[in-house]
Amino acid sequence: MSQTNADSLEQALEQHRHEWVEKLFELGRELKRDKAGLVGVMLITALVLMAVFAPYIAPHDPTDQDLTARLAPPVWYEKGTLKHILGTDHLGRDVLSRTIHGARVSLWVGAAVVLLAGGFGVVMGLMAGYLGGRTDAFVMRWVDTQVAFPGLLLALIILAVIGPSLTTVVVVLALNGWMVYGRMTRSAVLSIRQSPYVEAAEVVGCRWPRVIFRHILPNLTSPLLTLGILEFARIVLAEAALSFLGLGIQPPATSWGLDVAMGKNYMFMAWWLVTIPGCAIAVTVLAINLVASWLRLISDPQEREKQFARHMAGAMRKKMHATIKKELEAP
Amino acid sequence: MKKYGRLLLAAVLMVVVLAGTGWAKAEGITIALGSEPTTLDPQIREDGGERAVNDNIYDTVLTRTPEGDMMPSLAAQMPKLVDADTWEVTLRSGITFHNGEPLNADAVVYSIKRVIDPEFNSEQISFFSTITDARATGDLTLHVITDGPDPILPTRLYWLKVVPPKHSKDPKFAENPVGTGPYRFVAWQRGQHIDLVRNEDYWGPAPQISSVRYRFIEEPGTRLAGLMAGEFDLITNLLPEFTSHVPKSVNVLGLEHPIIILNADDGVTKDARVRKALNYAVDKQALAQGLFEGFAQVAQGQLLSPSFFGYNDQVKAYSYDPDKAKKLIEEAGVKGQTIELIGTSGRWLKDRDLVEAVADFWKKAGLDVKVRIFEFNEYLNRLFDRKTRADGIFVVSSNELLDADKSFSAYYKAGGIGSSNTDETLAGLIDAARSETDEKKRENLYHQAVQLAYDQAYFVWLLNIEDIYGLSARLEWPGRVDARLLVREMQVR
Amino acid sequence: MGRFIYRRLIHGLIVIMGVTIIVFVVTRMVGDPVQVMLPLESTLEQRAAFEKKLGLDRPIHIQFVDFMANIVRLDFGESLWQKRPAMDIVFEKLPMTILLTAVGIGFACVVAIPMGIIAALRPGGVVDRITVFVSLLGLSVPQFWLGLLFIVLFAVQFKILPTSGAATPAHIIMPALTMGLPTLARLVMLVRSSMIDELNQQYVKTSFAKGLPFVRVVGIHALRNAGLPIMTLVGWEVIRSLAGYSVVVETVFAWPGIGLTAIQAIERDDLILIQAIVFTAAVCVVVINIFMDFVYKLIDPRLKLT
Repeated sequence: MSQTNADSLEQALEQHRHEWVEKLFELGRELKRDKAGLVGVMLITALVLMAVFAPYIAPHDPTDQDLTARLAPPVWYEKGTLKHILGTDHLGRDVLSRTIHGARVSLWVGAAVVLLAGGFGVVMGLMAGYLGGRTDAFVMRWVDTQVAFPGLLLALIILAVIGPSLTTVVVVLALNGWMVYGRMTRSAVLSIRQSPYVEAAEVVGCRWPRVIFRHILPNLTSPLLTLGILEFARIVLAEAALSFLGLGIQPPATSWGLDVAMGKNYMFMAWWLVTIPGCAIAVTVLAINLVASWLRLISDPQEREKQFARHMAGAMRKKMHATIKKELEAP
Repeated sequence: MKKYGRLLLAAVLMVVVLAGTGWAKAEGITIALGSEPTTLDPQIREDGGERAVNDNIYDTVLTRTPEGDMMPSLAAQMPKLVDADTWEVTLRSGITFHNGEPLNADAVVYSIKRVIDPEFNSEQISFFSTITDARATGDLTLHVITDGPDPILPTRLYWLKVVPPKHSKDPKFAENPVGTGPYRFVAWQRGQHIDLVRNEDYWGPAPQISSVRYRFIEEPGTRLAGLMAGEFDLITNLLPEFTSHVPKSVNVLGLEHPIIILNADDGVTKDARVRKALNYAVDKQALAQGLFEGFAQVAQGQLLSPSFFGYNDQVKAYSYDPDKAKKLIEEAGVKGQTIELIGTSGRWLKDRDLVEAVADFWKKAGLDVKVRIFEFNEYLNRLFDRKTRADGIFVVSSNELLDADKSFSAYYKAGGIGSSNTDETLAGLIDAARSETDEKKRENLYHQAVQLAYDQAYFVWLLNIEDIYGLSARLEWPGRVDARLLVREMQVR
Repeated sequence: MGRFIYRRLIHGLIVIMGVTIIVFVVTRMVGDPVQVMLPLESTLEQRAAFEKKLGLDRPIHIQFVDFMANIVRLDFGESLWQKRPAMDIVFEKLPMTILLTAVGIGFACVVAIPMGIIAALRPGGVVDRITVFVSLLGLSVPQFWLGLLFIVLFAVQFKILPTSGAATPAHIIMPALTMGLPTLARLVMLVRSSMIDELNQQYVKTSFAKGLPFVRVVGIHALRNAGLPIMTLVGWEVIRSLAGYSVVVETVFAWPGIGLTAIQAIERDDLILIQAIVFTAAVCVVVINIFMDFVYKLIDPRLKLT
């Protein structure tokens, strides 16, 4: 008896593993079909690797000054050197190294804010949607009120008063952005709550945390993931803007927005100081946006169907063209 | 897509038409300032933007040559001392304000009384703090009375802009200035520009430039863009790196001196040998060349420029001698000990860079330097903290009076707002000079004070920074040591 | 309807109160504005006198009561930096920001709606793909960077547009373009997707079958049905811009609007001007929100408003 049990467990595990691999392959196939999404995923992977291994990849310490080699141009200029492939800034710091390390700040702030704001927002949304009544009224009134705040202005003032730094930027941006998650979670919960399996779970006597976390939350994963990624892109831009205004990351730390701000005084004699970090921001955000729009496509069954139809139509057209061509060529 | 292209074409055409009708008069110039005046009342604020504009609308009783020597302006001759605390001023005749009010002794007396009135609460009061009264003794003569002998009264009168007694009572005076100067006020579009036009009835030599527009742009990069796009003829505070990229640039030895105040009463810097070592350790020439691209001079062991009253040309900068610095530190037995250096960031040109560079030199001399860069508010708390003085505080002193008194009272004299020593002899010299009316004796007192502070090495004197202006190709202007932007001294080719 | 107005107004008041209280608390934490305002060499007596003049030496609760009383009278006092009533400054700068917002977002609408429709006509076609990619790019480029790029290109290289300021109509082109681009991108995406949905509806197909002209079907019927989400987005963009997002563009182009003034006031610790600006921004947001609700109701009377 026990023998068969272990067997079936192993089999089950095996099967489960197969399912996972299968799913991954499926995702890979989908990705192959969507070139833009593929590019996005590849770019993000590269950026994450760059951020994680920044100290090993970067040729110099990003804060190392060399006043004798200030504003050196990139290597392809006559005055450029291999020592500083993308040139140096006004304090003789290596632009390539600063750009590589800048990825750390951008991705770290993005991830931290999405997790903090998302976590808080989802918890509030679950409570509001599931518990309903006074809790719901209170949370939703809070959300409505905060949504109507001039958020960026408040963020700027708060940052100016408590002193801008990596931590304060994360906290302020998270405080400013949790409401979207709350609203979305709540409305999703309200619709899921009516579904038979949640009702069944309640009838069986599951307590509410269990219902929420075991039965409702898993159904929210895919829309929350898409929202989180979109928010990630927004946060990366917001951090860059705050740093550009001088109320974000402070020197000697590095950030792309900060580098653009410092480089703008020199933009007519050293275009690379503004252009390179600016491009880094644009590429990062673009990659995230590409992935987000791809994710939205595959997570929405209607969209998927359309895409599939388009794909089939394309293939058919190709085939038809080939046949016509063949027929034309054939005398 | 076709529609989009046509729209773009239309936009470009519109732009070309609009750009052609812009402000481009033949002899009019545009000056870009770093900040907009908050008022155009010439007597209430201490504000660079206001001064830059009003210096052209108003005249002062005395003025300076571009090299910094005092000369009469509205006054017919230099003021004379009648007794120990009374000065006599005689005015030129036949001058009128732009609105026709006559410039006479009453107008000057009125202007003095207006600015020193405690109710008026002028920020410029520190320039006139010794003046207690003024009275007209004739149509064009008046007496200025001080609270004791005040040798620098002429310097103070160089700050006194004379306002019209009748018009200045108008509540709209702060938005509609009327002076005696070479330019008249035309319009002030808040947030955008101020326009002036040449005063055709000016009593002095007629200026060449017919009109001036002032623009206000805080970002140095944006100011530079405007100069390079040909919109501006003159921009202030050009970064040294750009002198080779703008059509023309002018550099003049300015009024700013970055120094480090050393704590002479406590800590590792209590020992004069250490303070000297800290001076020997810094390669001032390298700072001037490296950080400021040569647009700064090494300060000659004193908080004064050569053009200031009290400058002691016998005192020279501490040489750069790292070996001597190391030896002195070892002699004093403080090798490897911690020294705290306080600075701020973004307040003055390259402030942070200077602090970090100095810290690097000190490290090489064998000290463990702890650099602490504070946000400006917090930095000020440290600078003004009288109880616990930090070992070293970086500050940039700016002296518009061009006279030793202001800088020395603030930083040299014991108990001054930023001083870190309790040297009674030094304080005595500064006090004595303050009330000494004999110019030679007063100068001598300052020479002694400079020498004393130098021997004790109360500071690390770093640089004297040059002001750099960016000019359009058509503008000619030699610059001034007092940093005033006098349009009548400019010419358009 | 009366109940609806009443509830909206109450909610608006709560928002404004919340914002002002937060700002009051936060700005009282700004250390000491006195130190920053006065010249470095000022004496201690001068500093004390200045503090007294501002009323900052009084207990905090008295300051708060005073503050609330002043808000009711719409009088925040004199700006520490400009030495004139803070509301005067706000009323002077706000129209400039409204102008910039109107031109920027107006431009975005004019371009985005045709672009979105054209893209929606053949989803997956070349035009559509290009449109989608360009929109994604527009969403990804940081505004401050785009603005700097415009300055370098159009002002310094080609010398066809002025670099900064707001003196002539030509001055608004670059800031408005910079401001409108992300809006344009979002709008294109939205118009495209709602038009794709609408064009697949039976009524559109029927209209075409009936032989109604293309412009009429697409431009009037389909667009009107897609109108509500588009309106929402445009309203949201206006709110965003007035609620402080114009700061970046105004800083880059030295545009004399409320955003640039806000950042200058923050830099100078001018707490009175900061309070006035944030209060005004909150009022703007509330007013536009209420206005939008009315418009919804006009467009679609079936909407249940609470």
